[in-house]
Formats: sequence, structure tokens, C-alpha cells
Amino acid sequence: MGVMRIGHVNLRVLDMDAALGHYMNVMGMKETHRDAAGNVYLKCWDEWDKYSLMLTASDRAGMNHIAYKGEKDADLDVFKKRIEDYGTAVEIVPAGTLFACGRALKFNLPSGHEFYLYAEKEFVGKDVGVTNPAPWPTDKKGIAAHWLDHALLMCELNPEKGINKVQESTDFMMKVFDFHLAEQVVVGPNQDIKAATWLFRTSTPHDLAFVGGPVMGLHHIAFFLDEWNDVLKAADIMAMNNVKVDVTPQRHGITRGYTIYFFDPSGNRNETFAGLGYLAQPDMPTVTWTEDQLWRGIFYHTGEEAGAFTSVYT
Amino acid sequence: MKDEPMSRAENIRFEVKILDTGEKFSCSASDHLLRAMLALGRKGIPSGCHGGGCGVCKVKVTRGTFTSLVMSRAHVSEEEERDGIVLACRVMPTSDLEVEVVGKLKKAITRPKAFGLV
Repeated sequence: MGVMRIGHVNLRVLDMDAALGHYMNVMGMKETHRDAAGNVYLKCWDEWDKYSLMLTASDRAGMNHIAYKGEKDADLDVFKKRIEDYGTAVEIVPAGTLFACGRALKFNLPSGHEFYLYAEKEFVGKDVGVTNPAPWPTDKKGIAAHWLDHALLMCELNPEKGINKVQESTDFMMKVFDFHLAEQVVVGPNQDIKAATWLFRTSTPHDLAFVGGPVMGLHHIAFFLDEWNDVLKAADIMAMNNVKVDVTPQRHGITRGYTIYFFDPSGNRNETFAGLGYLAQPDMPTVTWTEDQLWRGIFYHTGEEAGAFTSVYT
Repeated sequence: MKDEPMSRAENIRFEVKILDTGEKFSCSASDHLLRAMLALGRKGIPSGCHGGGCGVCKVKVTRGTFTSLVMSRAHVSEEEERDGIVLACRVMPTSDLEVEVVGKLKKAITRPKAFGLV
């Protein structure tokens, strides 16, 4: 029973051809379906479900919804009751509402983000198969990211008005879905305002993160790479393709991951995130970053804000 | 792909004047205004996604002609676009231009943060 991992994200893109050029030729994803409405579904080579990214043409960038995968279909009934008991409106949408998925819970996080939980999605398989597989496929384009790893959602934070959707969304994910709090940033005169949180269900430090900002939105979706050399190569490939890089290769203090931040052609921020970070376990103590060391936590080497990290998101 | 390097055939350059500061810079017909400004180390106009999605590089073109790529309606309405309000990362000049910085986010970006991240 329980949530396993991030399932997929539905992003809005301004130009579908440009978006596909980015996610297929630069990130190395593969198109697995295109529906009558023109939505395009893609997967990474190391994923086995039908898709982890759904692209929707729109006149504005950003995220339509985010979906996580639960272990068993019957879990959905348990979680539906928990969500209702928490006081949040929730509905069960029938199989096929989310393309190639079973029935799903649909609700909004306290931050407002549209969220789905499903337990079944059409199986496609990894590119390397399951019988005596090669460690990686040789026919991938660009960065050849392994899988969609996590997302960071921006939540309204306005302490002067008593608004903290980071706190509310974190509480919700922990109490309703048994997410664990790996790390947090606390700010304010009493260091008691949760300004950012990193939550996990897998054995890595985050499957979902919340950061406070003026308005809700999508900060980034992250794709997994193995290790530091892959990060360097990924940055090279971004430069070769004139991808707008926001922050060049760095280590995060928070989660210890190796990172690059960059933008897709519609301005949605992407990350390549490499390394385990550390083994995350339900009984691990939460790591806290204080306001004065906040930027050391985010960009460990410089300890300073870089790029347009907090000022720009969709 | 975005941010294509300029082709030699389109290497016609125009002068762009920023009315807020009186400064001028040169921009090729195949380059977008934002990158041309950044190439000169200009301050004041924030650099974000370079894809028309994040909305921080909003300017108003008050004189001159240009071509533009699709930009987010969350940041530039049809009415604004008719008034010459555009995202600098989506605009390529076809004549000399005069522009003003108008983005409301400019203030948000320059104000000191009170609570770490906000």
C-alpha cells in the first residue's frame, strides 16, 4: 500500500514542434502516443510505463497537472477516504481519463496544483529489456535521461498575510500520503516559517518539493542522470543545442544532488539531477537549513543565488 | 530550436534605444532583443527562460517594427500585444527600435527578500 513515485507531468507548451525537439533530441525521450486533441506523450529509455511526460499545446507555459503512481488499485479507496477526512474535495475519475491509466483520484493540493493518483498505467518496458540487458541503449539522442525523477512546485508564501501553502501542502502530503520530510528551509525572525520542503516516498531524498513564492506555479521537473560525468556531458549537449541554461553544473547542499537548471523552449524549467544524494528512509531525521545558509543549501559551491532561480518560473 | 545562431544572410543590424536609461545597443535582425542586451552586459532587464514563457523580460516597443515568436498569454494579453508590449526574448527587429521596460516583475526582482525566498 502506498504511493510509489512520480508518474507523469502534463506541461503546457507554446510550440509543440519546438517542445518535441527539446524533449526528444536534447533530453532523449521517445514519443509513445499522440491523441486526437494533439497531446503528445513521451517516455525515457529507463522507464517502463507508457509515459512520464504529457505535452499540451497552449497559449501559456506551465503545468496542467501532476500525477503520482500508487502501488495497488485498492489503495485508491483508502486514500480517497483519507483525503475526504482531511477536508479536501476529491473525485475518482474512471480508467482512461488519464490516457493509458486506470481509475485515478483527482484533487487539488492546498497550494492549488491539480494532482492525480493512479495505480495502473500501460506497460511498455525499458529500451534495454529485461533479459540480459545492456546497461544503456546506444540509439538514444542527446542527454538520454533515465527517468522523470521529481518535480518542484512553487506555493504561495506570504508570511505577512499569514499565507504559507508550503506548510499546508507539506502537511497534506505527509498526513494523507505518508510522504517523509527529508529536508526543509526555515525562515523568519523565529526561524519557524517553512519556506521550502523536500519530501520522499522512494529511497532518494525527494520525489516532490515545495518552495514558497509570490504565486503558485511550476518551478521545475527533473530528469535523472547517473553521475557527475553525465552532468558535464549533459551541459555540453545543452550548449550544442543552444538550450537556455539557468544554472550550470553544481552540487545542491540540500539533497546533495548534482544539478543543471535549464529551460525548455516554452520557458518551463527543467533540471538534470544526478546521484543518489543519500539513502532516504522513513526513520531518518529531517535536515534543516536556516535562512542565513539557504543559498548554501541550494547551490553548495557558491552559496549564492544563481540564475533566475526564485524570480522566474511558470 | 530557440536561440539559433544568426545566419550570415540575416546579419543586418539595427539600433535599439532603451528609453528608461537612454542607452542604445545593436541587435541583428535574426537575434532577439533580450540576448542582444545581455551580450552587452546591460543591467535592468531581467533574463529568464528565453522561451516566452516566464514573462520577466517585458518591454513596450514605442517606435519601430519587428517580428515576434509566440509568447505566453499569461504574461502578454492580446490587448497588450496590440499596444506593442512584448517579451524581449521573442522579438527580432526589422527596423531601429525604441523600447521601455514595463514589467511589474521588475520591482519584485529588485526588491530585497524579506523571508529568504519571498
